[in-house]
Amino acid sequence: MDRSTRGTAERSDSVSDATLVTQPSIVRRLANEPLLHFLVVGLILFVVYDRLHPDLEAKSESNRIVLTPADFEQLGVTWLAQGRAPPTPAEMQSLIELKVREEVLYREALALGLDKNDTIVKRRLAQKMEFLAEGASIDSDPSTDMLRAWFKDNPQRFSLPPRVSFRHVYFSPDQHGERSREAAAKAMEQLAGRPGDFQDAAALGDPFMDRDYYGDRSAEDMAKLFGSNFAREVAGLKPGRWHGPIESGYGWHLVFIDTSVPSRVPDFEEIEPEIKAEWIEDQRAQAKRKAYETMRARYQVVTPERAKN
Amino acid sequence: MRRTWRQRFLTTTILGAGLFGLAASPAFAQRNPERNAYFGQTHQHTSWSLDAYIIGNTLAGPEDAYKYAIGQPIRHPAGYMIKIGRPLDFEGVTDHSEYAGMMSLANDPSSPISKLPIAQKLKAKTQQEINKVFQYLAASIAKQQPIKELTDPKVAGTVWQQNNAIADKYNKPGKFTTFCAYEWTSMPNNQNMHRNVFFKDCAKVPVAPFSALDSDKAEDLWAWMNDQRKAGNEVLAISHNANLSNGLMFPVDVDGKGRPIDSAWARERLANEPLTEIKQVKGTSETHPDLSPNDEFANFEIMNYLIGIDNSSAKLIGGYARQAYLDGLAMQDARGYNPYKFGFVGAGDSHNTAANFTQSNYFGDHGLMDATPQSRLAGRIESGMNILETGTSGLGGVWAEENTRASIFEAMQRKETFGTSGVRIKVRLFGGWEYQPEMLKQKDWVKVAYAGGVPMGGDLPAVKGKAPSFIVQAVKDPEDGNLDRIQIVKGWTKNGQTFEKIYDVAWSGGRKIDPATGKLPPVGNTVDILNATYKNTIGAVELKQVWTDPDFDPALQAVYYARVLQIPTPRWSTYDAKKLGVLPPSNVASTIQERAWTSPIWYTPSETARATASRGLTVAELKQRGAMALDEAQLKEFALGKTLKVRNTVTGKNFDILYGADGRRVVTEVADKAPSAAQSFEVMHNGVTGSTATYIIRDGQLVTTIDKTPFAVTVYKLDDKYFGARSNEFGYVNYEVEEPKIAN
Repeated sequence: MDRSTRGTAERSDSVSDATLVTQPSIVRRLANEPLLHFLVVGLILFVVYDRLHPDLEAKSESNRIVLTPADFEQLGVTWLAQGRAPPTPAEMQSLIELKVREEVLYREALALGLDKNDTIVKRRLAQKMEFLAEGASIDSDPSTDMLRAWFKDNPQRFSLPPRVSFRHVYFSPDQHGERSREAAAKAMEQLAGRPGDFQDAAALGDPFMDRDYYGDRSAEDMAKLFGSNFAREVAGLKPGRWHGPIESGYGWHLVFIDTSVPSRVPDFEEIEPEIKAEWIEDQRAQAKRKAYETMRARYQVVTPERAKN
Repeated sequence: MRRTWRQRFLTTTILGAGLFGLAASPAFAQRNPERNAYFGQTHQHTSWSLDAYIIGNTLAGPEDAYKYAIGQPIRHPAGYMIKIGRPLDFEGVTDHSEYAGMMSLANDPSSPISKLPIAQKLKAKTQQEINKVFQYLAASIAKQQPIKELTDPKVAGTVWQQNNAIADKYNKPGKFTTFCAYEWTSMPNNQNMHRNVFFKDCAKVPVAPFSALDSDKAEDLWAWMNDQRKAGNEVLAISHNANLSNGLMFPVDVDGKGRPIDSAWARERLANEPLTEIKQVKGTSETHPDLSPNDEFANFEIMNYLIGIDNSSAKLIGGYARQAYLDGLAMQDARGYNPYKFGFVGAGDSHNTAANFTQSNYFGDHGLMDATPQSRLAGRIESGMNILETGTSGLGGVWAEENTRASIFEAMQRKETFGTSGVRIKVRLFGGWEYQPEMLKQKDWVKVAYAGGVPMGGDLPAVKGKAPSFIVQAVKDPEDGNLDRIQIVKGWTKNGQTFEKIYDVAWSGGRKIDPATGKLPPVGNTVDILNATYKNTIGAVELKQVWTDPDFDPALQAVYYARVLQIPTPRWSTYDAKKLGVLPPSNVASTIQERAWTSPIWYTPSETARATASRGLTVAELKQRGAMALDEAQLKEFALGKTLKVRNTVTGKNFDILYGADGRRVVTEVADKAPSAAQSFEVMHNGVTGSTATYIIRDGQLVTTIDKTPFAVTVYKLDDKYFGARSNEFGYVNYEVEEPKIAN
């Protein structure tokens, strides 16, 4: 096998030389190239397999499993496509045996009618059909006008959540136990009417393990950080004054909203690529639905009630 | 010369691309050098996994998985709507590759390989055509331009490529990160050896994944991963369910192919498997109560069976992370390599396209099998799996600069990760030599911690003091229970024996460590089991500490990781029982102490430091001095029916072992007292409970089998002294044996 590989590699060298004259050193590397090895190994195996299994011819048509050079290549390409070293002759042989085994069992199963009334087979085929329906050709290049019109009809799909920037003073149950809220309420008396950047604000509370100021956060961001109750409460606060005490998953807070940006739908120009992506998505969903409806229309469903009539 | 030029060209291109990338996305350029905790799912099956499909998850694919992760409601396989409480920061859908792999492609009329235009180009019958094909391929290789048709993820039709396209679609740098990933489903004889394979960048993934049909040997997977990496495709693997591997996940002697484990194997493992799942729906793989009898929190969501086999059980030895850490230290010490320097994530393995992280809102993990409280509490065992013992998804935490593929993947590679049982506890651990307790009062202590040491997943820097100190901080999940305590789990090794000790280092309330037991009293319990409620009136919001190892020996290999415990809360089965108005099942815990584990920090002594250790005797040295191993007849004469007085020269402990004529060996005395349950495991057969076990004398060895794993002792005679050497102590002779007396 070794010798034949080398022989072919040498023959091929002349071809490479013609095209890659500027990089002669590469030619030698190519002699070690996996793809070449595979092609050669595959070809040889095909010949060997053919010789070893001449009796295939004798079998009836339905019992014939014909493996073409293309099948061999496909096995090898699939193998190589996984980024692996080329199959050794033994590996190639076992790939072939796997393929044959599968084909044999598959045909025997068909002959016994095992595909009928098998839930898994049914689901698998149904799933494949879903995939096919999804791949249905759709227009992927809508005009700007078309997108604009669609955007106008579906603004809710693109609305941005409200966002707030806020600072807070924290009162920790680790420090105050059950009197944390009380401590916060007391501090609130001193903070009421003060500006957000009031110098002594931080000293009124406890050190917080994360930040004291959070810029531009959505309710979702705040829920991740503080828990959803806090997020809900803070989202509804008016900017420009201290609020609280407000409870989070960590304890109690006094909160000053710097800025609050309400929910809005961006301008078309800001998010045109997103609108296009969403539109394609929508087309695909619709195409899928229509494809199913078309198929569905060809069927009459008989339920027990109707069957009686 | 040409190579250099090419490299330079590539570098320029990559740099250019990087700059372009940054310029194009200023919105998320908020890198935090002190790193943020991001929570994500690294193990999620959808209807595209064949087994998920079979159990009723027929409709919801990877797209729905990502929708669920970012907070959109999706449909449970049983038809009801489910929505995540708080969206995740990242996720990689990991359907079984054996669906997307070669076999299914060959099976599939819409097979991409046969339909690819490239396949036409590769078809060749005559020599001339072969030459042409060669020419085409050769040119592509020579120019180092991969054939796009083979690597282009957009090629329609295959499940794998669609999977990757969907991952790309939902990847929103700065907001939500997705990964191209799959599960390599190796399960030789029902022993779970699965790995989830994660690619750093979806642009470079191969046309098809390497599946377990290609090989069920991890060594082959690693070889393939190495090739991927060489081709510029960064990739890592996360092992899971070591607890169900029947002891195969963390071997010390022989690899998956039956070859002796060596430094090359260790290198491969380290390069390819930086992480393991410490907790997922099918149990915890930290440790087992029988392996860690002194750890009162070891009995946590334990599952022990072989997937697919009813009434089965898995070997403990080799199936748990903590023991792997200890073995790794001993391997480093005795053989010069440690294959087991991995970190932690928690993850799911739910087959419902969606995973559930909270006890109070549990909706099962396995399609129609556990979709309702009734079906979950029915006590059913499906393919060996006791549904009552399964649970909520674990959760992966990474400390990364920003929420992007590169940043999160790199955090995973450097193991700056933690796993939780599902809750969003944030925990970080740093190790160094000069950390001072006062520094935690500083607002910027994290910066100081990075500057003065290493984060979790790393190795302690060179010795600069008497003992290493560790900074550990844990912040509670704002929507779950308060924190009970932080513990440091330390492991070390001496002369082939391994040891573990658990230190309580920070805790809530005014509790004091009991001087008699050395233990911290329990935090208390606010759970109302009948109503499935609890109160956060005990426990802490935040715990932090600078802890210095009080038992440090600079000559010995050591490993440290932190474990954070929550206060007890109701387990999902208790919530389900409340929903049904029945009593919680009595055969599983009704409460749970959810928890988080950090990746470890390792200490490796310098050669100078090692030299100061009192080295034990090795078998080789003993033989050199002229010792002879007792042969079978001599051993029978020596031990059978006798009580051996044995001294463990590493621990200095004395104990008596009766090798009964009935084939059972019993530890009868430890240090002149009857052995406690905890002690009986430590002697001769470190690591497993039960002082009684069966043994046989075989091939000149006393072979005791505990929990299905054999341990062999060889007895040597030198002059008139006897020595015992155990098979799992890496070539050391650690036992002095007195001439035995006849048992009564």
